[in-house]
Order: sequence, then structure tokens, then C-alpha cells
Amino acid sequence: MLPSTLEEAVAALAAVPAAVPVAGGTDLMADVNAGQLRPAALVGLGRISEIRGWEYQDGHAVLGAGLTHARMGRPDFAALIPALAAAARTAGPPQIRNAGTLGGNVVSAAPTGDTLPVLAALDATLSIAGPAGARRELPVSHLLAGVDMLRPGEVVGYVRLPLLHAPQTFLKATGRTGPSRALASVAVVLDPVRRGVRCAVGAVAPMPLRPLEAERWIASLIDWDGDRGLAPEALSAFGEYVAMACIPDPAPEDGEGTPSALPPAALHLRRTVATLARRGLGKALA
Amino acid sequence: MTETSEGAALTGIPGGEPHGLGASVPAADVYAKAAGTYPYAADLWAEGLLWASVHRAPHPRARILSIDTEQAAAMPGVRAVLTHEDVPGEAAHGRRVADQPVFARDTVRYHGEPIAAVAADHPDTARLAAAAIAVEYEVLEPVTDPEASFESEPLHPDGNLIRHIPLRYGDHEVVGDVVVEGLYRIGRQDPAPVGAEAALAVPRPDGGVEIYTGSTDPHRDRDLAAACFGLPPEQVKIVVTGVPGALGDRDDASLGVPLGLLAMRTGGPVKIAVTREESFLGHPHRHPTLLRYRHHADSEGSLLKVEAQILLDGGAYADTSAEALAAAVSFAAGPYVVPHAVIDGWVVRTNNPPSGHMRGEGAMQVCAAYEGQMDKLADRLGLDPAELRMRNVLATGDLLPTGQTVTCPAPVAELLGAVREAPLPALPKEEGPASAWLLPGGPDGAGDPSAVRRGVGYALGMVHMLGAEGTDEVSTATVKVTGQVATVLCAAVESGPGFATLARQIVQETLGVEEVHVASIDTDQPPAGAGGRGRHTWVSGGAVERAAKMVRTQLLQPLAAKFGMSTELLSIADGKITSYDGVLSTTVTEALDGKELWATAQCRPHPTEPLDETGQGDAFVGLAFAAVRAVVDVDIELGSVRVVEVALAQDVGRVLNPAQLRTRIEAGVTQGVGTALTEHLRVAKGVVRHPDLTAYALPTALDTPDIRIVKLVEERDVVAPFGAKAASTVPVVVSPAAVAAAVRSATGRPVNRLPIRPQAAVSPE
Repeated sequence: MLPSTLEEAVAALAAVPAAVPVAGGTDLMADVNAGQLRPAALVGLGRISEIRGWEYQDGHAVLGAGLTHARMGRPDFAALIPALAAAARTAGPPQIRNAGTLGGNVVSAAPTGDTLPVLAALDATLSIAGPAGARRELPVSHLLAGVDMLRPGEVVGYVRLPLLHAPQTFLKATGRTGPSRALASVAVVLDPVRRGVRCAVGAVAPMPLRPLEAERWIASLIDWDGDRGLAPEALSAFGEYVAMACIPDPAPEDGEGTPSALPPAALHLRRTVATLARRGLGKALA
Repeated sequence: MTETSEGAALTGIPGGEPHGLGASVPAADVYAKAAGTYPYAADLWAEGLLWASVHRAPHPRARILSIDTEQAAAMPGVRAVLTHEDVPGEAAHGRRVADQPVFARDTVRYHGEPIAAVAADHPDTARLAAAAIAVEYEVLEPVTDPEASFESEPLHPDGNLIRHIPLRYGDHEVVGDVVVEGLYRIGRQDPAPVGAEAALAVPRPDGGVEIYTGSTDPHRDRDLAAACFGLPPEQVKIVVTGVPGALGDRDDASLGVPLGLLAMRTGGPVKIAVTREESFLGHPHRHPTLLRYRHHADSEGSLLKVEAQILLDGGAYADTSAEALAAAVSFAAGPYVVPHAVIDGWVVRTNNPPSGHMRGEGAMQVCAAYEGQMDKLADRLGLDPAELRMRNVLATGDLLPTGQTVTCPAPVAELLGAVREAPLPALPKEEGPASAWLLPGGPDGAGDPSAVRRGVGYALGMVHMLGAEGTDEVSTATVKVTGQVATVLCAAVESGPGFATLARQIVQETLGVEEVHVASIDTDQPPAGAGGRGRHTWVSGGAVERAAKMVRTQLLQPLAAKFGMSTELLSIADGKITSYDGVLSTTVTEALDGKELWATAQCRPHPTEPLDETGQGDAFVGLAFAAVRAVVDVDIELGSVRVVEVALAQDVGRVLNPAQLRTRIEAGVTQGVGTALTEHLRVAKGVVRHPDLTAYALPTALDTPDIRIVKLVEERDVVAPFGAKAASTVPVVVSPAAVAAAVRSATGRPVNRLPIRPQAAVSPE
């Protein structure tokens, strides 16, 4: 089934409840081809032109869920939401970026989904189309954390996030120079109007993590009316703070005494997160 | 070999296609491969074919209590289900030792071991039916640490120790002024062929079977299969289809056994094309290796003694592990003069994934270790690492620790000199804007120029050519000439090294015939043996040359007799026969006079001997060497590494096809970069984790460095046909060690484990 509007897509899903919606198919079709998924029917979302662009709405951007990574990576989009553009550019080889969509990245909810930390840092909300013209809003973090799930017959239509008109960064550590999945990624966005720094760490946990205390602490050190620069020590301390929050020491086994040490791989991951957060904030403030 | 001479070779013949030895003749199948019309085994089709699927063990070690195939057999569309009970002949097979069951009977020894096979009318039905086979296991604690394998209860009736070589050379009491120690670990590299394994089996009316597959040694595979079928070899025929990438022995043949059984059972053609996951589980990998070294040297940096303990993880079955161990022990000291050596090598069984032939097996692992030791020694003595190596290099006439004299050319000093003198690549700030700098981590990665350090490292290494330790190396080839066309029939499978192209060049050179075809291969032809280690260039190439020369004599003899001169005074070029004085001039077509000329010849190099109980013996026919200098950029905070440039000098004997040689070297270096940085198949308690190409990271174009071939030393090996040496394997063996050395110099960290994990390349400053 190839509906051309969101309404038709929702209707198609209502008509065949066993059908699975597919957009770029970069995750779904790999499983189908490997024989691991056998959907009774597919509802292709690729012809729904209304969700392949974006529009502006009182200081927010409303992004169609069908936006491809390739489209988000282009300079005009990068001028709007720089961190999302940077994340989209790192998401796999060109073939994947040409097909894979923003909505697919959200719905797949893979721990290494590259756009997810950016959406988490921007407190994005999803606009979901449901049966009989129903629309509801859902914070992206609720979906990723499993607090609220997509219900049968629902399709993610739009992703709404604020336009902050300030520097944003997305940094991703990988195992090779060519395209690959994130070992860890960090998104940092500045919100000069609310005098806030928002940061999210991806790939180290099943969902992006927000180190809220570290965000508030570093925001209080920044001279928002001045040059916004920070001393290297403050940047390093921010990195450590973020990393400790996201990869904490394990609780002591006997309830007291020194905490048991993390394995070397986890310590390296913590160091990687600290480095990414320090570099990300440094670049955003530079 | 430089760009210019390569260009000259391509354009040397005005108005003509490149031909003959030394020219960059393109492979005959390149256009078909580029256009996607070249048939691989996965593309085969037969009327009414059935699809096969294999049920594989989910546990690395278990006792099988029962196998229930009833439900699977009852599924609609399922035509046959086979288990160990349905193997009529030998229940076990194996490339060197028949110790591997076709289907596991009472014991599972590795994750993915075949237990049953299904044929059905649709691939999905076959897969579902295979999944529906109910096997009851008593799961046992797997032995996954090769060190624990010595002490644990036997995993196989043949015992856990597959081979032990205690090499003793010189005086083992000697102690040097300087002693350095090191412990090294090498990971499990997967051959990751671009095309996963596939095969088609067709039953024959005489009760036999024909198997179409990408076999790399069809005659051996036929004999193994026939023994399992309980048939004489004549009733089994293997027809070789296009081989989609082979970095070792392909596992297609072991699929051929269940497939052939299914075809004979159902009476119709049966095809299998395995998934990427099955491919990762089933085929042999590089031996994960643990190496403990102690190098003794005098205060001037001359090596006195090498002590080493080398432990190879052989997986559950012997396969070719004994040979890998021989190479590891024999080359444990590297291409250096070492007067005394005490080297112990073991290969043991574990419940880890299977290990076997994989380019440069044994030699690659020790190279990473002895070169690590050389860096350590240089550091201790305060010497330049390249200088220390230069003081110890091996040359023709020196002895290996096996007591074998190196009789072939060994221009190791010249190779090292060439890479040392090559100019270093420019630093990014000299090259242009910082934005153009490809940082470790990639174009949109997290790299930060201020944290990037550059390192330069050297490595020398060696491999043996052909089989070792008394393997009978023989190949047979037939050359036929009709009219303007010559045909080569030789069962040497073209799996990438370029034998098919070389065979055409040899015939062009010898017979002056432009159009040369290489016939397709099946086991009705005489055997040519396995590929790898330059075998086909040497043995099969030698056989083709002899056969071509015999045809030449047959062609020229009547003419020579007529004019009263010997055949040596006649020459053939561009289809014309001319005498030395120009008096006689005729064409090949005329001389043939409508006849067809055939000749068949064999080539068998001089024999070798097995290593004795102290690891001594003339075990190798020939050796090939290379020197590599790697330049890396390391982000010392993230531990990410990018190899900027690999400069290589190689001992090639003689360049037979410049373009093909360059390709082989580039492929070898690229694989070596993968070995050094990313390629390791992860296993948790014997269970393979993430058997897919997302988790198993092969080098991409961005990971591949600039590969500069600074020198190809053409010193002909007199015993080899054409004087050429194996070219593909040496770069695979040496480049990982060079990358490790470069990361060492960039970070100051020991780097004693391959692939290099990011945490090992982080440097606290």
C-alpha cells in the first residue's frame, strides 16, 4: 500500500491491522530480507509529500518524519538546526542517508540512532497521527524511554523542536574512519534566551541520557551577555561531570567503603564521553 | 615499479592490446564482473530446484540428547531432512585430518556446528523447517581459553593438543646484555568474503552427484565429499563457478556435502545460499594467538637469542592448523639473523569458532609480536627502530632457526633501506587548510586537530611460498592451439590472485598467439591443487609454460627440419613465425595447416621435508619478504587511529603483470589495516556476537591509507618459473605490525594487542 497522505496511511493501517508502516526501510527491510521479520503487509510512507519537508510555527520547526538524513545534512537545514544536520551527516554511508528518515530513526529507537541525542537535547515532541483523524503530542523522550508507546494504527507524522538561533554541536566517536555506528555521541545545544546549556549523550545506554545537573552547573558559569567563553579547566570539568553522570561508578557492594572499579572498557567509554562533551561545548562556545 | 614504467607497460605496444609477460594485461572477466553479468554460485539456477537450509548449534559446547526432525519433515513443502544418521560414507571430513563430523552426532563443539539439513521448495520454508528441528541439549561449560585447553578434559577423541613444535636452535643457555620481554595477543580475523557461501548440487543418473560451487581446491573437495557420500571419486564432480572473494579456503565445499546428500535423497537439484550470519559462523577464521617473547641482544643491538612461546587457538577441529603452527614457529624470529632460539609453539582445540587457512596464517601473528619486540629493544638501547632492524637483517645464505639455509634472494636490507629513504607524507598544516585534513574518526567525526599526534613505524616480515613440510605440490596444465586461438586447461581456480590472466600472458609470450582462453574448471581435469601462497603462479604457471613450450616445439619442429635449423633459431611474434636471419617467414595459421596441437605438462617444485622433533628441517620451497613503513594519525584522547600512508618495498622476484601486482599489494595492505585496527570477530563464552558487517568493521575507502609502493625488488628466484615470488600475502603479514609500530611511536603506549583497541591508543599527556 502506498498512501499519499497521512490520513490515507492511518486508514490503511486501520484496514489491515497487521500491516507495518515502512519509510526508508534501512532497518526494517534488512530484517525482512534476513527472514527475521515477516510482516503480513507493508504500508509505504515514501509517497506522503506532506511529511518530507518542514515548516515554521511560533519559534519552532515542525519537521516531517519523512525527511531523509541526506536532506537534513544539507547547508540550508544546517543553518536552522546545526546539531541535527551534523548528526544526519554522520549516519552511515550515502545510500543509507538517502533512504533513512528522521521518523524511522525515532521509531527504530536504536541506542546508536544518531539523531536521537539531538532530539533529546532539544526536548523534541512528536506529533502522532492516529485512527479517525486523532492527533496527539508525545515528548520524544517518553517514546524512547518506553513511558508511552505508539498505539496500534498510529504513525509519527512530525517532529517539533525549538529554533534556538545559537551554536549547536554533535560529536560522535566511532571505531573506524569510514561510516560506522557510534561508540558514544554527544549533542550540545545553547539556549541563550533561557540562558541554558542542554546536552545529551547517545549510544552509551538504551536511550539518550541528559546530564541535567551538569547542564545547570555549566550554564551558571557562562557569561551569557559577554563573550560566552569558558576556561579550559571549566570545559574539562563539564566533560567529567557529564561522563560521571552518564557512566556512574557501580554502587559499593557492601553498602559502604570504596566503590568497585569499572572494567577498562567502561572507563574508556567514560573518558570518551568526557572528551566529546568537553570538545562539543568548547566548539559551541568558541 | 613506478607509475611511469607501469604506464609504459600499458602503452608499450603501439596500437595493440598489452600482451605477454611483464605487461598489464587486464583480466578477461573484468567487464562481466563490473556489469554484474559474471555468474557466481549464488546466481545458479536449475529447473525445479529445491532450497536447502542448515540447522546449526546455538551452543559452543553441548551434548546432544535427542534430535527430533518429525515436525520439520511434516511441514508442507519440505522434501527431505538429513542428520548424522543419513551420511552413508565417512561420518567425518577435514582438509588435513578427517576429524570433523558432517553433522554433529552426540557432541556440539562450536557455535554454528551443522546438526541437520533440510531441502524444501522455497528458501523460507527450508529456513523455517530447519528452525523447527527440535534438538535437546545438555549444555556444557565451553573451553574458550586456549591456555585452559591443556588442562581441561578432551573436547575431541583425538585430544586437545593438535600440534606442538619445540624448536631448539643453537645454545639455549646464552644470555644477552639486554633482554626485553613482551606478551602479545592477536584477534580473530574473519575472511569476510564479499560473496557468502553458495552451492548447487544436481544428482546424476548413475547415482552420483555434480556440485557447482566456488571451490578453491576442487579435487580435494571432491575426494572429501565422495568419501562422505560413500561413492568412488569418479561419481562425484565439482564444477567451479565464479569465486566471490577468497582469502583462505572457502567453506563452500563443506556445504557441498549436505547439499549433495540432499540432492541424492530428493533426486532433484538443490541449492543453498547462506546468510551473512551463517557465513560468519561456518567458515574458518584467523587463529587467535597468544605470544610470549623474550629477545636477547648485545649492547650494540645484535640479536643473540629469541625465546618464544606461541599458542594458537585452533577452534574445535584440526583443519589446517598444523601448517599455521609450522609457519608461526619457523618465522618466530622474523627476517633477522638469530644465532640461538628456543621456540615452543602449540595449537590446541577450544570451543571457539573454527580456525584455518587465512592469508599469511601463523606468519602474520608472529610478525606483529617480533616487530613489537624489535621496537621495545630499540627503545631500551636508545636506537632508532629502523637502525636496529638494519643491524640484524637476514640475507641470502643465512640460516633460519629451523636450520634451513636461505637460498632464494633475500634483499631485506635493500627493502628496509628503500622505505627508510622514501619521503614522509606532508603534515596537514603544510598541505593546506585544516578543513581538508581527514582526521581520525572521519570527515564529520569528533577528531580535534590539537589532540592528534603523528607516528611513524617500521616492520619487516616474511612468508613462505607454496605448501611446506613435504606437501606434494604438483599441477597439471594442457595447452591447445587451433587456428588463431589458444586454450589453457588447468584446474587452478582463479580466486583473485590473477592466475587466469597470467596463464594467458604465458601462452601469448611463448606461442605468439593473441587470443588465449582459459577453460572453465571441473574435477574431470587433472588436479592443480589449492591456491594461496603464490602456488598457482609458481606451480600452475610453470605447468602452463611447459605445456606451451611443448606446443611450440610441435609447431616449429617440421619447419625447422625443413629448413635445416634448430627450433631455437625461430621466433614467434604477433602470429608470425620468422627465422633469425629473416629468410623464413610464415604465419602460425599456415604452420598449423588446420591441425590442432595439444600438449599437457606438469610442474613439481623441489621437495621439502617436515620439521623434526626439535623444529629443524628444510621445510620451505621459497620465501618472500617485505618492508613496510606506516604513518598514522592518532587522536590521543579518543584513541581513534587513521593510517595516513603505508609505504612498502617488496621482494617480488619478477613483475609479471604490473597492474595486477599493484592491485594485489593494495588489497593486502588494506586487509592488513583491518587486522591492525578493526577486524575481530567477537565471541562471548564461545558464542559469536553480532555476526554481521555492521559490528565486524571492514576497512572502508576512508580507512584505507595512501599506499605507496616505493620499490619492487626484481631479483629472480632461479628455482621458480619466471623467477616470480608470491606477492599477495606478504603485505597482509607485515602491514599490521607496521601500523602497531606507528601507533606506538605516536602514543608511547606498548600496543601489544591486535586489533588495536581505542583504549590502547589513548595517551595521557
